[in-house]
Amino acid sequence: MLAYRGGDAAAFEELYARHRARLFRFVLRNIKVRAVAEEIYQEVWMRVVEARSNYQATARFTTWLYTIAHNRLVDHWRRAGLSLVSLEEQDVPADTPDPAHHVEARETLARFAAALDALPAAQREAFLLHEEAGMTVAEIATATGANEEAAKSRLRYAMAKLKAAIADD
Amino acid sequence: MTDERDPKISRRYRELGAEEPSRELDQAILAAAHRAADKPHAPLVTPAGRHRWYFAFGAAAILVLAVAVTVQIERKGSEPEAVVLDQRASPQALPATEAPGAAVRVEPKEASPVKPRYGFTSERKQRAQEAPRELAREDRFEAKEAQAPQVESPNREQGANSRNVGPAAPAAVPALRGRMAASAVPLSPERLLERIAELRKEGRHEEADKALAEFRQHYPDYRISEDMLKKVERTK
Repeated sequence: MLAYRGGDAAAFEELYARHRARLFRFVLRNIKVRAVAEEIYQEVWMRVVEARSNYQATARFTTWLYTIAHNRLVDHWRRAGLSLVSLEEQDVPADTPDPAHHVEARETLARFAAALDALPAAQREAFLLHEEAGMTVAEIATATGANEEAAKSRLRYAMAKLKAAIADD
Repeated sequence: MTDERDPKISRRYRELGAEEPSRELDQAILAAAHRAADKPHAPLVTPAGRHRWYFAFGAAAILVLAVAVTVQIERKGSEPEAVVLDQRASPQALPATEAPGAAVRVEPKEASPVKPRYGFTSERKQRAQEAPRELAREDRFEAKEAQAPQVESPNREQGANSRNVGPAAPAAVPALRGRMAASAVPLSPERLLERIAELRKEGRHEEADKALAEFRQHYPDYRISEDMLKKVERTK
């Protein structure tokens, strides 16, 4: 990113190639609608391009990139009348069995996908940051603007629910 | 602990698919990045809407302020000199038509044979000399000085110990004007003579001679007392 800030366009291409698929999946699985996900995904990269002159190498580029993505998602949820907090309030205990509407599903993968979709937004985001971006709890906290305890709790709940979804696998 | 991945969950997650952005989207983003890299850094937030006029308004305000401050400094700079010039005009120097205490500027004549040593050299002085009022006053001086000798030596004055001051005597001796102005004391013949005596006392005879010559030129009828004459004239 520092090279790109200095005017090296090839450096951006390298960065883009490294992060494009993971970032796209992170956005898509949070948004679920591909057209909207593509729009937000493009906004994230445009923000990276615009903010290159202000980029400080104080944290990993990945953390910075996903922080931008998180902020764009929050904007999107706000526009849609949703919020991370309200979704978290709908949270259910981690040891709750699989939702009733998924009992008919036979395929583990389908159950897993449904469980991922059913996760509260903050938990799903924490899980996706962990899984797609390879972030630690501390990095998730930084990227989402939450404290470490909250990030850890979100991730733990998400993992527990997904694990429960594939328990009989 | 939560930092460690659960392999079963990770595997299931990978099985969900590996969606990627479309090729068009990639190209659009890369093209934008290339365009940005070719250009110098633009401001992140360009002035738009009502913010745009802030810049023009700010620049105009700075310009007006700078001009106002400059004019103010210019005015203040000219005020002390004006006061000093006012003080130079003693009540005796004022013509009958002038009220005492009114601001009168009396400048040395340019055609004077004795060059004023302590005269003002600023442009303001020249502007003041060009004022019509000054010219009218100087015309009166010229008429008077046409009767007086152009150059007088100190020796010639040694025998003259009795002179009278005319009703419209000139206001100042140019050679001493600068000093008197600096000390902000109204010019009177007595004070001028004291200054000449001081110069003499300080051993600055050249200046004293010159000042005395000017004094006599401007006050041809002034009677210098014996005591003062001893002080102001060079002793042989």
